[in-house]
Amino acid sequence: MVALTVKALTKHYGKTVGIDGIDLDVADGEFLVILGPSGAGKTTTLKSIAGLVEVDDGTVDIGGVDMTLVEPYHRNVAMAFESYALYPQKTVSENLASPLKSGRTGKYSEDEQKRRIDTVTKTLGINHLLERFPRELSNGQRQRVALGRVLVRPADVYLLDEPLSHLDAKLRAAMRAELRQLGQMSNTTTVYVTHDYQEALALGDRIAILQEGRLVQIDTPAKIWHAPADTFVARSLGQPEINVFDAAVDGAALRVLGTDLEIGIPSDITISTSAGARIGIRPCDIEIRADFSRNPGSVAVRGRIQLVERLGRNVELSIDLGGGVTMIGLSSGGPLAVEGAEIVVEVARQNIHLFEGAPEGTDSRRLGSAIAGAGRNGDGATTHAAQEDRR
Amino acid sequence: MASELMPGQKRFTVGAVAADIVLVVWFVFSLFPILWMFLLALKTPAEQTTTYFKFSPTFENFGTVLSQKGTDLTSVDFKSALLTSLINCGGAVLVSLAIGIPAAYAAGRWKYKGSNDLMFNMLSFRFAPELMVIVPLFVIYNQIGLFDTKLGMVWVLQLVTMPLVVWILRSYFEDLPEDLEQAALLDGYTRKRAFVMVALPLVRPGIAAAALLSFIFAWNNYVFPLILADSNAGTVTVAVTKFLGGGGQAYYNLTAAAAVIAALPPLILALTIQRYLVRGLSFGAVKS
Repeated sequence: MVALTVKALTKHYGKTVGIDGIDLDVADGEFLVILGPSGAGKTTTLKSIAGLVEVDDGTVDIGGVDMTLVEPYHRNVAMAFESYALYPQKTVSENLASPLKSGRTGKYSEDEQKRRIDTVTKTLGINHLLERFPRELSNGQRQRVALGRVLVRPADVYLLDEPLSHLDAKLRAAMRAELRQLGQMSNTTTVYVTHDYQEALALGDRIAILQEGRLVQIDTPAKIWHAPADTFVARSLGQPEINVFDAAVDGAALRVLGTDLEIGIPSDITISTSAGARIGIRPCDIEIRADFSRNPGSVAVRGRIQLVERLGRNVELSIDLGGGVTMIGLSSGGPLAVEGAEIVVEVARQNIHLFEGAPEGTDSRRLGSAIAGAGRNGDGATTHAAQEDRR
Repeated sequence: MASELMPGQKRFTVGAVAADIVLVVWFVFSLFPILWMFLLALKTPAEQTTTYFKFSPTFENFGTVLSQKGTDLTSVDFKSALLTSLINCGGAVLVSLAIGIPAAYAAGRWKYKGSNDLMFNMLSFRFAPELMVIVPLFVIYNQIGLFDTKLGMVWVLQLVTMPLVVWILRSYFEDLPEDLEQAALLDGYTRKRAFVMVALPLVRPGIAAAALLSFIFAWNNYVFPLILADSNAGTVTVAVTKFLGGGGQAYYNLTAAAAVIAALPPLILALTIQRYLVRGLSFGAVKS
């Protein structure tokens, strides 16, 4: 029963910042996903926990023991590398036996080793590849062997670095589902690194979002989705990306520059007239109608559909709101979703995110949503799962 | 010739033929001395200064060379010089590998301020002409009793081979993904075990290439054995030249026969580990 605590972890590579003051608290058995673009410090964080990177500052505590200066082979953590890191001169079964033979992860008899390898390869569907060398495997198979080398033995913490990134889309979805169901995974404290927001939302008990070596937000998937800490987090989740518009204060409302899109400022938020604000609307949160519904819970604006792109079940719409502002939306199709159509775009107030105003190219903090009370943590918004199902 | 032919284009252009002719001429030019050495080695003493290609070949010269006992024709015992060379060069290569492999691993994995300067410094031993250091070395060797000892020769020849081994193997270790050893660490192996179990087997081609090249460099070294050794630790390169007489009569045919014999061990070694060598030289040189 092992919890993992990381405090003020810092690592610089020369003048480049690897990670800068990362704090993580991973509960026993929790599945934490670290999400971020490349270069955000995800792998450095993982390798610091494993002891493969000598940190400049900060501590790593595994199961109540300070491991900061402990050699990797004494930490009892298992890691799957993004590069697979399979031993090229060893067969699949020898690769999988490697952690069982070192003597530091527990003592296993020949039979016990065989049984464990057998179990894990059956689970991962690679039991027909045991005698092959890594060079004779496809990338997907290699990735599963790398995962197998982690799962084959009990460890205090599993560290998984993009373990699904090289799989093709279908296999990835299947493995994503399987991964959560693996009994070991649900019992073992796991830190999982990915740049894929869908993986993060689907797998994580909590998600930690990194940006340029810094922790921006750590919370449950629902909270991260509904109440992103800033525009960076909001943009990290969702495909197509969230729409972010600059807006100016116009009396008691915010108006997206150049358009008729007007949003009343909720009573619990104050916005300075000079700075203005940003409005974030996710493409999946919009609804297109022929005319205004006059629903007080929603905000609506006229627009003209410029472009319709079919993405399987959904269509992606580029909607011209006038004044050079284009909103991206997702729709399930229908007679309204045609190019050139004049339509009304409607968005529920709790799904409109308000961010601080900031110069272009910089990120800004979230203030809340466009309805008082639903406020800062996004309570009352429709659940993410429901939205994903609709897509 | 690698460029694709366009329709209607001829395969043999004047330029291509001319290029081939130049290559053949260059090839003959560079191989001619070796051919001459082989021919000369087969000539009788009476014909040793002739330049014609038509003569009745004899293998007698090889026998004469190998039976030299240091008393008859020259002051050299060729067979024992051959053996000494094997011991000296083998010893130098083993010492270079034993120290050079860990050194190359450290140099490839551990980067710090000035690590490149250190490596470059090491290579500069190879830039300096051997003659520059030979006088102080001679004095030192005489003083501490290393003159004309095999230990002394191994010691001085590894100065030639060590930088080579470290430089070649460093690039091999650098090309090896660090993740592999890190995976071994997390599998529960110590750094030393990870090195032996994972890194070492994967640079075997590099070790073969480095060993062969450094063996050839040590084998061909002339200046060090000439000055720092005599009859006890003298090597084959020095022994070959003894047939030129050094004041007495010059036996060109015997010199050639001795040179042919002296060229055999590196050649045999190269052929035996050729399989590794070809893969090795390209594997280490290019980053994938």
